[in-house]
Amino acid sequence: MRILVVEDEAKVASFIRRALEEESYAVDVCADGARGLDLARAGCYDLVILDLMLPGMPGLEVLKALRKEQVAAPVLILTARSELDQKVKGLDAGADDYLTKPFAIEELLARVRVLLRRGSGEAAGVLQVDDLVLNPATREVTRGGKRIELTAKEYALLEYLMRNAGRVLTRPMIAEHVWNQDFDTFTNVIDVYVNYLRNKIDRGQERKLLQTVRGSGYTLKAE
Amino acid sequence: MPLRVRLTLWYGTALAAILVVFGGVLYAMLAHGLRDQVDRSLDEAASVAVRALEQHRVGPFLPFEDLAVEFPELAVLDKSFQIFSPAGKVTIQSPNLGRLDIPLSRTALEAALSGRATFESARFLDGSSFRLLSVPIILDGALVNIIQVGTSLRSVEEMLHRLLLVLLVSLPAALAVALGGGWFLAGRALRPVEAITQAARRIAAGDLTQRLTVAHSPDEIGRLAATFNNMIARLEASFRQVRQFSADASHELRTPLTVMKGETELALRRARPAEDYKLVMESTLEEIDRMAQIVDELLFLSRADLGEVRIESQPVRLDALVEDIQRQAVVLGQEQEIQVMVGSVALVQVQGDELRLRELLLNLVDNAVKYSRPGGKVEIALARYAGMARLSVTDQGIGISVEAQTRIFDRFYRTDDARAHAKKGTGLGLSICKWIVEAHHGRIEVQSKAGEGSRFTVILPAD
Repeated sequence: MRILVVEDEAKVASFIRRALEEESYAVDVCADGARGLDLARAGCYDLVILDLMLPGMPGLEVLKALRKEQVAAPVLILTARSELDQKVKGLDAGADDYLTKPFAIEELLARVRVLLRRGSGEAAGVLQVDDLVLNPATREVTRGGKRIELTAKEYALLEYLMRNAGRVLTRPMIAEHVWNQDFDTFTNVIDVYVNYLRNKIDRGQERKLLQTVRGSGYTLKAE
Repeated sequence: MPLRVRLTLWYGTALAAILVVFGGVLYAMLAHGLRDQVDRSLDEAASVAVRALEQHRVGPFLPFEDLAVEFPELAVLDKSFQIFSPAGKVTIQSPNLGRLDIPLSRTALEAALSGRATFESARFLDGSSFRLLSVPIILDGALVNIIQVGTSLRSVEEMLHRLLLVLLVSLPAALAVALGGGWFLAGRALRPVEAITQAARRIAAGDLTQRLTVAHSPDEIGRLAATFNNMIARLEASFRQVRQFSADASHELRTPLTVMKGETELALRRARPAEDYKLVMESTLEEIDRMAQIVDELLFLSRADLGEVRIESQPVRLDALVEDIQRQAVVLGQEQEIQVMVGSVALVQVQGDELRLRELLLNLVDNAVKYSRPGGKVEIALARYAGMARLSVTDQGIGISVEAQTRIFDRFYRTDDARAHAKKGTGLGLSICKWIVEAHHGRIEVQSKAGEGSRFTVILPAD
């Protein structure tokens, strides 16, 4: 899950980035409105966290431009102003949610989970493929009721695969949504992680969920 | 009592008084004129009769018929006609008197005996009034006859009576019409006042966008409305300013709070190495300093707004102040390799508060250093020109765009470039500078070109 944070206060951007990274999200930070718009337009972000007071281009304008161009990524706006009309304007302009500064980290993370869940059509707050269950809130993964321990990267990879269950995900897509850096040149890192993950979720199971699509990438689906 | 009622009443009372006086005068003049006319005609008739009697030396016993034949003009007179003997007995009576018996009054007789004519009015039992003129005829110094000419006053009285009726009917009617008109006109004239009241009520309820829509007429109401609109516009502007100010203040205070809350919460989410906690605490300390500065500056500005900041008026040597500040600023600049120099300095003394002037200059120099690029130069100069001290601080820093130049003295205003260039800074420093300069009856000017640098010039009255 790749998240873009557009925030000009360096310290605020920095702790948001660290918090999100601790939750295994891939994060990009940008301090300027116009540049933020370019990034959001070009990259395929699963979520944009947008401050309203920005140099270069006001957050509201960025938001309107994004929606005009049919960029569908959910947008969470951050505002230092708690006035109602700011929130209303933001929501009307196409924001999916808002947070007023100062906010609690846990609340930010919860809202991020909700917005990502909305995109994947998951209902109860947990992701499920066959008997494989992932709970983004607790970061617990079970298969057939048995708990599976995953590293942060493995977890991020699994979450991305489960959110896109049934779809074929190419290596560049996986790189973009799970890793912070551009892994285009050495996609075998992805293969290595897919193998780790496969060992943990499919080993010894009758039904194999994580499958390789030759020449394309990977997919996670119930047979 | 509503103004409309009062206006109408005043107007009505004044009009009624005028009408009553007018009616009274009209009546009196007409009555007087008519009586005069009656008297003149009696006088004429009498003189005709006297002339006739004197010419013909008519004795007291001539019958009227003969007299009438002799003097046809007497017969056609619409007057009654009597001739009395010197004893006051009727000798000749005109037939138009009919059965009325008009005796000669004592006063008339006595006046006649002494040779004077007498006008009298008489009222008879049947209600008819008569006007009588008694004229003595004196021949050779002896009273021969008394001629009395009379005429009925009925037509005069009828006319006066009719006038009175007309007045009694028409005056109240006119008054009523005028009152109605006055009521209507007062209402019309006062309608804009009512509109103003309504608007003022809505404005009092907090809606400062309201304006009076009274036509732009140069009359009193038009001027009142214009004045009122002007006042609301200024109120609205100052309210907006206050709202903007508090919104900006809360925004500026929220940012450090957000940082402190976010970083602390993040640190507490799990156990971390001691180094991480140290970083968070250092950062928190920075934010606390930032908030403390904002609060200090806000407090100063609000006290300044309330007029609670006292400004001393002592002689201050600006040249000495410049040298002093430069020594401090050199240290400020060292960190970023910015050279702080003193240009030409004239000997100038001003009246003012040394502490505040020091704060002013330090603020300007601090800004110049803050928005300079490494290796840049900051120059402080002082000149005396046309009785004014001109204190300038020039830098080669990021500069200020023309459109931003008008706003940099606004509270909390910072350009995007300024925010990007220097994270520290509250956006209140220049507001404080401006306040200090104005408290010293001076002004502050800025010349700048984006990307090339700025020059702030403080102009103060010199001793």
